[in-house]
This record gives sequence, C-alpha cells and structure tokens, in this order.
Amino acid sequence: MTTTLKVENLNYRRNLKRILADVSLSLTGNKIVGLLGENGAGKTTLMRLIAGVAKNAKGIISVNDKTDLATRKSLISYSNPLGGMATNKRISEVKDFYQQVYPDFDEQKYNQMITFLKLDESQRLSALSKGTGEKLVISLTLARQASVYLLDEPFSGIDSMSRKKIINSIIQWKPADSLMVISDHYVSEIAPILDEIVVVKDNTIVVHKAADTIREESGQSIEDYYESLYGEADSND
Amino acid sequence: MEFDDKVPIYYQIKTVIYDQIIAGQLAPGDKLPAIRQLAVSLTVNVNTVQRALREMIDEGVVISQRGRGNFVTSNAEIVEQLKQELIDRYLKQLYDQLHRLNISDEQIVNEVTAYIERQGDLNDDNTES
Repeated sequence: MTTTLKVENLNYRRNLKRILADVSLSLTGNKIVGLLGENGAGKTTLMRLIAGVAKNAKGIISVNDKTDLATRKSLISYSNPLGGMATNKRISEVKDFYQQVYPDFDEQKYNQMITFLKLDESQRLSALSKGTGEKLVISLTLARQASVYLLDEPFSGIDSMSRKKIINSIIQWKPADSLMVISDHYVSEIAPILDEIVVVKDNTIVVHKAADTIREESGQSIEDYYESLYGEADSND
Repeated sequence: MEFDDKVPIYYQIKTVIYDQIIAGQLAPGDKLPAIRQLAVSLTVNVNTVQRALREMIDEGVVISQRGRGNFVTSNAEIVEQLKQELIDRYLKQLYDQLHRLNISDEQIVNEVTAYIERQGDLNDDNTES
C-alpha cells in the first residue's frame, strides 16, 4: 500500500520559538486518525503545514508521494474556511465561492449534507451559532473530493447534539478511499470512530498506534491511555 | 449505541450482531445491512465494521457473497453453537462468582431453580394484570 500522507523530519520555528521538532509520520489507507494533544502542543501548526497554509518548515511533506505545494493543496481538503469570509456573507454565497475555487467541489453531496444538518442557506455567517458554523465547515470540507481531509478541532465548544450530527456526517460522507485526520484535545467524544491515534506532545509525535490495539493491549479507554501519557511525565518531573 | 471504550470496538460490534442472531432478530439467511449503513447506525468507523465482519466470516457465522452482500449463515448448527457459547460464558461468570463465595454446587442449583420459579411467578403476575 502506498503511503497517503508522509511527513519526514519536520522542524518548524516561529519567532525563535521551536513549534515542531523532528516530526515524522506515515499514514496509509482509508483511515480516520485522531491527532491528539494539549492546546498549544503543535497540532494546528502541523495541520497547517501539511495543508500548505503555513510554510517555511524544514523537512519533507508528501501526499500520494507528491511533494510540491500546488499538487498537495489539490489533494487535501482542510477545514479552515470561514475565518477569511466576511461575516455579512450568506451561506449560499460561501458555497458559490467554494464552487468557483475548488473544481472538485461536489454540489450534490454538499446539498445532501446541508439537508441532513438542517442548514438554512439564506442565513448570514454572523448569525450562525458555533455549532451551526462547524456544521457548515464540515459540509464545505467534505464536499470536496480529496485524498486527505484535515479537520482541525471540529468539535471544540459545540453542544452534544451538533457533535453527534457532525460525527454522523463524517461516517456517511467521508469518501471510502480517503484518509482523514481529526485533531482534538478531548478524545472520548470521537474515540469510537478512530482507527488510529497520533499524540503530539513537547513539540513532537510521541505515540502513533491503532485505537483497538491500545484497548486490547492496555485494557484502557483511549482517553485514560491518552491521559496516562501526561501523568507519567508529571511523575518524572 | 454506546460503546465501552476499554474494549476493542470491533469486538463489541461482533457481540451486538451475534446477540441479534441468537435472539432471532436476525434470522438464518438474512442479509446484513450494508457496511456503511452499519457504521452510521452504530456510530463507528467503516474500517472497524469491516474488521468485525471479517472475523464473523472467519468464524463461519456470516457468509459473504460477492456483489450481493453479507448474510447470516443458514447453517442452524453454527447458530446453535454460538448460542451455547454465549450461555456457557454467562453461566461461567455466575458460577465463578458464587463459587468464590464458597457456595456449594448443590446450593447454587437450588438457588437458581428457586430464582427461576420466583421470576416465573412475577411474569405470570405481569401478564395477568
């Protein structure tokens, strides 16, 4: 099986501060991978570098063995869309923009998702609740036909009903042959849908394991296992 | 459904489907829902459903028919065996726990019989009311 996403010896500094150090990661197949770590651990930076939104890191990033930025961007759908949009825009206008920018935007799929998530296309961005905003982000991100989907904390600060709806949409509309990376600092809510977890701690990746292997080997829940990584560090201090 | 996150999810999916087969909610020869449909209804990953199915196929309980889908075996013997394994597993739990409390085999049998009789009375009461 070819490697879908490969990161080799990635190092990244900003303002003389080390953000990522010697990060290497290899993800294959059609998995859903949880990228876990505390706030500030470097999860978002890693995602932004992979997506090509952040630049000037040392190291190699490739998607389907392609390293050049333009190809990588066309293969990756990254959930970072609403920040740059004017808040007086309507949902329908945001969709039109997406359709123009991304040739792989699948309108039919998008329509199925917004019907399922009960989004009202006439609403303006400024009127959206946090949960509704995330539902729109997920719909836009998954409507692209990509090889890799990067979802940056899609569940932070939203209610449990919206969360369940979003998780359901992911299972239903993630293309069968695609790889998905979901970052979160709170794992229990997404643990059942993860194939593997990757933990970022102290600027680098400290764990990359299959979720069911963790359950089988340790008899622990993913959350307990994840927390134990931090507990051990404390006792060493 | 709610999963116990300490136990491998594929194993819990297997348990859910085996329970349905033993309880008769899924009859011999019945077609299982499509993989993605199962994943959505259980709120789990498609790959995890696939792994559970692979094991059920290996164990002969589910038969995969190329292009047509996955079916519960029509072999009644296999279903009966599955049922027996489950009964044994629950009885073992009960027996081990009572045995640990130094309750004699004879008393366990008597208690189980008496318990079933009391349950039977309760059920009768319920149906009459």
